[in-house]
This record gives sequence, structure tokens and C-alpha cells, in this order.
Amino acid sequence: MHVLLIEDDELVGSGIRTGLQVAGFTVDWFKTAADGRLSLASLDSDLVVLDLGLPDADGLTLLRDWRAQGLTLPVLVLTARDAVADRVAGLQTGADDYLLKPFDLDELIARLQALLRRAAGRARSLIEHGPVRVDPDNRRVWRDGREVELTRREFTLLQKILYARSGIVSLEQLKDSLYGLDTQVESNAVNVHIYHLRRKLGTGLIRTVRGLGYRLGEPSDIDGQSAQ
Amino acid sequence: MSLRRRMLLSLGLSFCILWAFAAAWLYSDLREQMRQTLDQRLAASARMVAGLVAQLPDNAWAKAGEPMLSIPQSTGVACQISSPRGRVLMRTHGDFAGQLDTPAPGFTDRVIDGARWRIFTYVQNGLYITTADRLAERVTLQRNVIVVAVVPFVVALLGSLAVLWLGISRGLQPLERLRGELSRRSPETLSPIGITDAPAELMPVIDTLNRLLVRTGDALAREQRFTSDAAHELRTPLTAIKTQVQLASRVPPDQARDALTRAEHAIARLQRTLEQLLMLARVEASQAGIDPTPASSVSIVDMALADLAECARVSVHLDSPAVTVDAPIELSSAALRNLLENALHHTDGTESVILEVQTACLDAVVFTVRDRGDWPPDQSTHRLTHRFWRYGRSQGDVTGSGLGLAIVATIAEHFGGALDFKARDGGGLVVRLSLPRKKPSAR
Repeated sequence: MHVLLIEDDELVGSGIRTGLQVAGFTVDWFKTAADGRLSLASLDSDLVVLDLGLPDADGLTLLRDWRAQGLTLPVLVLTARDAVADRVAGLQTGADDYLLKPFDLDELIARLQALLRRAAGRARSLIEHGPVRVDPDNRRVWRDGREVELTRREFTLLQKILYARSGIVSLEQLKDSLYGLDTQVESNAVNVHIYHLRRKLGTGLIRTVRGLGYRLGEPSDIDGQSAQ
Repeated sequence: MSLRRRMLLSLGLSFCILWAFAAAWLYSDLREQMRQTLDQRLAASARMVAGLVAQLPDNAWAKAGEPMLSIPQSTGVACQISSPRGRVLMRTHGDFAGQLDTPAPGFTDRVIDGARWRIFTYVQNGLYITTADRLAERVTLQRNVIVVAVVPFVVALLGSLAVLWLGISRGLQPLERLRGELSRRSPETLSPIGITDAPAELMPVIDTLNRLLVRTGDALAREQRFTSDAAHELRTPLTAIKTQVQLASRVPPDQARDALTRAEHAIARLQRTLEQLLMLARVEASQAGIDPTPASSVSIVDMALADLAECARVSVHLDSPAVTVDAPIELSSAALRNLLENALHHTDGTESVILEVQTACLDAVVFTVRDRGDWPPDQSTHRLTHRFWRYGRSQGDVTGSGLGLAIVATIAEHFGGALDFKARDGGGLVVRLSLPRKKPSAR
């Protein structure tokens, strides 16, 4: 899943970026509000981690603008200011969660996972779809009770399609979630990962919707594939 | 005692005393005037009778036998005419027989049949003409006059007391409202007092109070902002340390080394920020009354350069012999070091920074630091001394604590010096720090 990280401090930002990458997220990191604004306009992010004390603008202003534009993606606000009034202002402006510096990397990751889950309209972290069972928090997948090894990108792809609220995920969305602003991507890279995912978990799990993208197959279809 | 009660008591008492005095004066004056008027009338009536008697023929009295009641009896007044030998020729009251014999001329008081009378006797051609006036009538008249004159006085007095009470109560109402408003407030409330229609005497009080409240509120807000900023400045490097250390345990060894190096950078920054904060606290807490250790201008420069990592890039110009600066050496050298550090930080590594020390001025030593740094010539310099403000932060430069120049400004202000900045044409800054010279007489 793609995380847009907006944090002006070099040492804090690099730490969060590497920490989130280790946890399987794709991260693009910007140090100013202007760059963050620009990137969100061109990129389909799944999450935003926003520091409030930015050099060129207040993080809350940025957040207010996004919400005014109708952007609904989950935003976790990071701040070193602990006054209750600050926290309330952050949440009222449209932040989905609030983390006070200094924080624990594990807590940040767990909160981001929870935000993704909530954004997908799910309450439980464990997902069962026909014979496939997925544990997004620990990035593990089982098929008919047997654990299947997935690469980081394959897992992200699966999670993105499982979490898609509208059902259909476009190729562009998948590409953004997987690679972010990385432009050095082969044009058929996503297709290669879809191919591998189908091979490992069953062809019926991911359906191609011509001209629109991909969607999750019906549980019965996966059963049918596995019987072959 | 409340203001209202005090005013009511003092004004009410003075009213009563003044009015009572006026009433007593009026009463005695009226009584005297009445007595004189009635006496005059008594005398006038005696003379009137004498005038009438003089027109009678001389033998008129010879025919008269017994005294006769020639006038129908009237109450309260009486008249009698008698011959020099004591024979009563005429009288209005029979019961006066024997009572008014041989009266003395002029006014006399006499008791006749238990009643007091005022008597006037007038002598004319050997005839004694006596008029009398019963005092009981006079007393009744006096009492009526008193009732007519004094009762309105008392009513007016009571009325003024009531008006006084009402007036004081209403007049003190704005004070009462202010008291109520103040007693309802919690001690933390700093909003201005919302009484707009107070009288002119109270307005300055309310205005002063409101100005004080605003100033206190501002000071409090500044303190809170500073605390919040300080928390931010301390938590940010702490976050970096925590994140990088946690990262080090979950990445491959070569990356872990990088993470730990970053953590060390963050620790260094935290240490610097802490030291600067402590320095600021020390400057603000130092008492102006304490005699500072005298510091020579040369030793200040030496000490500032000694702690500087890149002191080779500073070229020093001392124009005159050392003089003594009226500020502790620790703080004045720290201020100079901060200026030099700031200049070096914003200057290309090959450029040098110029420090000039001018002692020609009699009451101040001026340290001037010139650099060819990245400060643009057209930018306003007013934010340079703001706490936690850093130039170049938007370019990601957060190595400074943002307190260096704020500390210099605080030191300059605290010891009666001055700090000013000027952008240089072609980029860079000229910073002038002046500190007061120690006066010989002060030693």
C-alpha cells in the first residue's frame, strides 16, 4: 500500500520511511506542504502520514484543503505538540488518527493498518474469502489451510484488491500503490504480479474487468479453480 | 463598612443637623417677630382708643357713674380707661375690676384670674388707657405658625433622606455591577470586563483593568507558545533517536549502522537544543543587580573563538586596546560565539567571516560580524531573533536549534546592550552587537 509521508525533519523522515518500507509499505516522502500537495494531486495514495509543523505551511491547512476538495483517504497526523486543544483541532479538521512524537514504530504501523482496514469498511483484521485466508497485519496468506509465500508486491496487490470498496481497482491505482512515484517501472510489471498471484492462489481470485481494471472473484469461482 | 452605608450615614447625619439648625433658627426668629408685632398692635390699639377719648367733651367723664360695659365682651382682648385718681371710667371686661388699678405706663405681664395677660398702658391728659392681650391666644397662634413652618421642614427632610438613599443606591449601581462581574469570574478568566455603559469616573478603572488583563493574557499566550515550541524542538530529535534506534534492530547490519549514525546526529541536536534552552533560562534568570565578573573585550573574543569548531575561518580585527565590558564573560562570549557560529553556518566553507571589535565609543563595545552568507539582500531581518525560527528551514536545513540569535538578543537586552542586523548588498549579513562598557565610577 502506498503511504504519502510529509515530514520536514530529515532524521525523523528517513527513519519513518525505512521503517514503513520494512513493514511492506511503498513510501514517498516529502519535506514541504507544497510538494505533498503536488504529489497527492498526481498520485493515488492509500494513506497520508502528515507532520503538522511544516516549514512552508501548517499541516492542518493542507489537511483542511484536502477535505474541502473531497479527498477521503485516511490521514494520520504526527505532531510534537501535545496540548489537548491541538489534538482536538487536528481531529476536527479531518485527521483520522493522531500520534504524538516520539512514538513507537510498531504503533505507527499498527495504526496505519487499522486505518486501511477501516477505510475498507472492515472491522476484523483477518480476511477469509472462499479457500483463501489473509492476515494483513502479519502479511501472511493461506490457501486451503496451507500457508502460501507471497512477495511484498504480490501481497500489496492482493491487499489492495481485497480492500477495494467499489469492487474494481484500476491498473493505475494498482501501480500507484505498488510503486508510488517511482517512474522506472516496466509497463507490464503489474500484470506480471497479477499472473503470479493467480498462479499461487487460484485464477478465479482476481477477475479482469475489460477496460476498467481488476476485481475480486466470487468465492465459488476460486473453489472451482482449485478443484481443477 | 460599605461605601454605600458610609455615604448614607455621613450625608444623612449632616442633612439632619443642618435642617434641625435651620428649623431652630427659624422658630426662634418667628417667635420674636410675632411677639414684637403683637406688642406693637397692642400699643397701637391703646393709642387709637386714646385718640378717640381725646375727641370727647371734657365733662363727659363727670356724668359717668359706675364703670359701664360699653363694648360687648370679646375673648382674649380687653381695654380700660381710668382717671389719674384711680377711678375706672370705662372697661370692656367686668371681671377686671380692681385688677388693673394704677397700672404702670408701658408693657407689663400680669396674671388675672389664672390667665396670663400682656398689658400696655398709655397716659394721655391724665387718663390712663390700658389695653390687654391674653397670652393663651398668642401661644395658640405661635403653635399654629410652628406647625405651618416646621412640619414642611420635617417632611422635606424625610423626603431628602429618601432621595439620598435612592440616589446613592442608583449612583453606586455601576460599582455594584463591577463587583458582581468580578466576583463571578474564575481567577483564570482573562477576557475583558464587558461593562460599556459605566460612568466617566469608573471608565478609567475598567480600561486599566482590561488593558492589564489583555497584557497578562498576551504574556501567558507567549509563554504557552514558547513551551509548546520548546516541546516541539525537544520531541523532534527524540523521535528521530527512537525511530532510528528501533529501525536499527529490524534492518540488515549495514543499514543498521546508518540508522545508528543518524540517531547519533539526533542526539547531538537534542544536546545542542537543551544547552541553548538552558543558556536562555540562565540569561533570563540572572539578576541585574549582581555585579558581573568584569570581562575584557579581548578575553571575550578569545573565549568565543576557543569554543568554535571553525575558528580558522574567522578573521579578527581589534582596533584598540582592551576595555572592560559590563556583562559576565560567560554570557558575553556565548553571545559572540552564537553570532560567529550563525555566520559560519550560513557561509560557504571557503568564505571567511570578519569580526571587528570597536572600543572607541566611551560607553559601549561594539562587536561587528560580517559574512557573505546566503542571506538575500532584500529580505527583512525582523524574524532573525524569533525563538525557534530558522532561516533556510524550508530547504530542509534544521541543524540549528533556532535559539542562537534569540539568546544573543536576550543577553543584549538584559545587560543594556543592543543587537541589530543589516542585509548586505550582494548577500550576507552585518550583525552589530554592542555591550555596555564598565564605568570606572562603578568600581
